[in-house]
Amino acid sequence: MRALKAFLLGAVAAGVVAYALVAALAVTAQAGGRALEIALGPLAILSVTHDGTSTVTTFGPGLVVLALAGGLANLAAAQLVRHRSGPPGDRVD
Amino acid sequence: MISDTDRLSLAPGVVFQGGRLADAVRGDAWPLNGSGAFVLSRTHRPVGQIVSEIADAFSLPLETARGDVLRFVWYLNALALVNVERRGTRIRRLVDWVVLAARLAPAGALPVAVARRRALDTRSVPRAVASSLAATLSRVVAVAIVATVVAVQFSAVVGAPGIAVPLALGIATGIGLGLHEAAHVASLRGVPSALVTRGRRTYVLHAAVSPTRRSVVALAGPLTVAALGVAFALGGAALGAPILVIAGCPLAAHALSLTVVGGDGRIACGL
Repeated sequence: MRALKAFLLGAVAAGVVAYALVAALAVTAQAGGRALEIALGPLAILSVTHDGTSTVTTFGPGLVVLALAGGLANLAAAQLVRHRSGPPGDRVD
Repeated sequence: MISDTDRLSLAPGVVFQGGRLADAVRGDAWPLNGSGAFVLSRTHRPVGQIVSEIADAFSLPLETARGDVLRFVWYLNALALVNVERRGTRIRRLVDWVVLAARLAPAGALPVAVARRRALDTRSVPRAVASSLAATLSRVVAVAIVATVVAVQFSAVVGAPGIAVPLALGIATGIGLGLHEAAHVASLRGVPSALVTRGRRTYVLHAAVSPTRRSVVALAGPLTVAALGVAFALGGAALGAPILVIAGCPLAAHALSLTVVGGDGRIACGL
């Protein structure tokens, strides 16, 4: 259960941050009238293309892969932290 | 840094009664010895005066008394039981800080920051949010200004025109901090709580709650602000307003607090 929580929270965190950054890049490219393509190897993350008068923005499956990678990274970090953590405290950051 | 002109005050929710120091937030009390009681019965007086009085009362050399009093005050302040009321101008304090930092530099250390505890009203969600925002207001403004200045520097380096983007990033960064803590406090409805700032850290001290509620409280802060960031990104994209999407980035970055990098994520993961 703890491992699942760590994975899910890491995946959500990475997914949200990646989406926000990619969305900012996309609207900036759109506003500047520029084409943009970002990919993770063969997996597209973002594609902004201009076709005549219209602009096409596509979020690719690379975003999902980034989220999953974030989940795995958080899971691994949680395993490391687990051995060094003390008893729960009385505060939240 | 605590100077002779600074004054001590018991933090909100802390009382000194019958030789015991009681904390309503932690729901605990600690007995004090004679010299501890002597110091805490002299709150709202200058630290220098307390040092003189304790040196006279206990027949101690002044420097010994000063060391003992300051160690005691630092310890209580680190536990957010005592606030240190600053005297003198901000400029004077800044100069004192720089001088002390220069003296500590060879040891690779910085002056220890003083903790400040502020009261929170958790009787209802609106009160909790309002009291949290009021308690964090000065910090929100400071963070917004610093973030704006940093963003202006980056903006100048990359040659981006205008102040709108740095301003949006700075305001969103500051507001994100305030909303993050407000969401924590809102989820602590009915639980005695206090907001503590110490150096760059801001945290909510609260009474013990069940493990499940503890996880909910920890998740409430980052999830609320990150959701707002995503809403800004979606709304900005839908409206064709890049500035809204950019402002959503610092808000969405609060999602990183869900990971074990942040204290909230460690609590939520049960670590």
